[in-house]
Amino acid sequence: MALPEGKSGAGSLSRPDGISLSCRSVNSGYSGKEVLREISFSIEEPSIYVVLGPNGAGKTTLFRTLAGILRPSAGEVLIDGVRVDRQASRDRLHYLSHMDGIPDGLRVREALEFYASVERASSSDVERVLDQLGIRELSEHYLPQLSAGQKKRVSIARVFLRERDIYLLDEPTASLDPKVAREIRNLILELSREKVVLYSSHNLFEAREIGRYVLALRAGRLALFDRIENLRGSRYVVGIRLLEPSDAVAGLPQEGDYFLRELPGPEEVPALLRDLESRGARVRELREMHNPLEDLFA
Amino acid sequence: MLQQAAEVGPPSLLGISVRRSITLGRVYLLVGAGLSIFYSAVFALAAGPSFVTVFPVLLPVIAVMGGLGGMVVFTNDRLKGVFEYLIAYGLTPLRLFANILLASLVLESIVLGAGCLVGLGIYAATGHALSWALGTALGLYTIPMSYASVAFTATVGMVWTSLSSPRAGMNSPIGLLPIVGVTPALVTLVAALAAVATRAVPARLVTTVAILLLVVVVFGLLRLVARRLPPERLLSPT
Repeated sequence: MALPEGKSGAGSLSRPDGISLSCRSVNSGYSGKEVLREISFSIEEPSIYVVLGPNGAGKTTLFRTLAGILRPSAGEVLIDGVRVDRQASRDRLHYLSHMDGIPDGLRVREALEFYASVERASSSDVERVLDQLGIRELSEHYLPQLSAGQKKRVSIARVFLRERDIYLLDEPTASLDPKVAREIRNLILELSREKVVLYSSHNLFEAREIGRYVLALRAGRLALFDRIENLRGSRYVVGIRLLEPSDAVAGLPQEGDYFLRELPGPEEVPALLRDLESRGARVRELREMHNPLEDLFA
Repeated sequence: MLQQAAEVGPPSLLGISVRRSITLGRVYLLVGAGLSIFYSAVFALAAGPSFVTVFPVLLPVIAVMGGLGGMVVFTNDRLKGVFEYLIAYGLTPLRLFANILLASLVLESIVLGAGCLVGLGIYAATGHALSWALGTALGLYTIPMSYASVAFTATVGMVWTSLSSPRAGMNSPIGLLPIVGVTPALVTLVAALAAVATRAVPARLVTTVAILLLVVVVFGLLRLVARRLPPERLLSPT
């Protein structure tokens, strides 16, 4: 597959007053089996960095390495120049794994108090996140009584107990219903104004909606690191939805209510709209039907 | 405004680990405490020489059962990704092991304490004097062997669990741990009886060496964990 245009491989995106998270030629994996190879990038701008890649590409391994759980077999991960396995660096990041990580045998409030004690947060922080994540009504429930989505919310709540500089969020909205997922995304968006957020998701529309940068992994290597807006897909397809039937779209393939038209790029959209209107079509909506992030999975 | 995180590692989790061990391992604790109280009461009421000879020997075997709640927490936390979270916040594998080990010893103290309290209480209440022989048996064998056996069981269980992945049709380490745990106490008992029968060495020497050997094994395993166990062995295998 041809990668979308943009910088590929090692990358560096910076702003002078940012927080520095850098990977220098990192190889990492499990018990001698390397999953990540030669990963190098540097992040200094507070923003949301979406980590994408097909299953097995090494996303979770990257998160675990950045969190200091896995020791790189080569290279190093640094936060403001300090290795990530040092406590000073660990204290600057939050890690949310793809698993809930909720201790059994506790009520929701007790689980949050457990997290709070680990992070030296206060009981008022626990009360605040119960409201922030909308889980106060669950606070006296034991964890096995919760649905997968409710457990996820409890799990996410812990990253809001204390403020940190870097947030590593491995699939934070998986198993959440759309309303709660949106609320979580909004919280993360708010967070990213001042913080570095690395965020993995299999939902490409979500990734495109909230991410400003993309880190794409393929077979354990960094395939792309760039602004999402710089990505140009291999195809640019728009969907045309009309108020009433028209011959102007005759012969175009259809997907639901949308007639599909492939264009060289988004700059051709105004011309397409003018053309349709000149041919008597009453256009209700034009939308991009192809997400350039999809090409990263091809 | 949220507080900025202080640059210190995570605090001790012993208190909450003990509470969770009691909650999750309540079956082991109830069975252990129940057996401990029952047999202590039976031998105390029998009031013969068996109380002085059998009661101190029996308690370490039962105490192993009570300490298994710690292993339930360990297995659970590894499987559910709790360790992954704790390691990210700076807890080393050795601290995680030590935490569970201490929780297991606290649980075992409940079982041992209940047995001693009931057994000695009934024995004294029925008009028997607490002899020097009974005191030395409890102080030099029962209590140290109980703690050593539970420490051995918990440490072997944690190392075993860390090095294994759950497989269908296979017993989990926790299912086999009671057998592993009582083995040192039973082997020591047989060796001590043989020593008494042959008069080759004093039985007290045999039990003391056995206890010291268990302590050495426990510290040796913990040292290996600190030096050689990669943190990824504590990540969920699922």
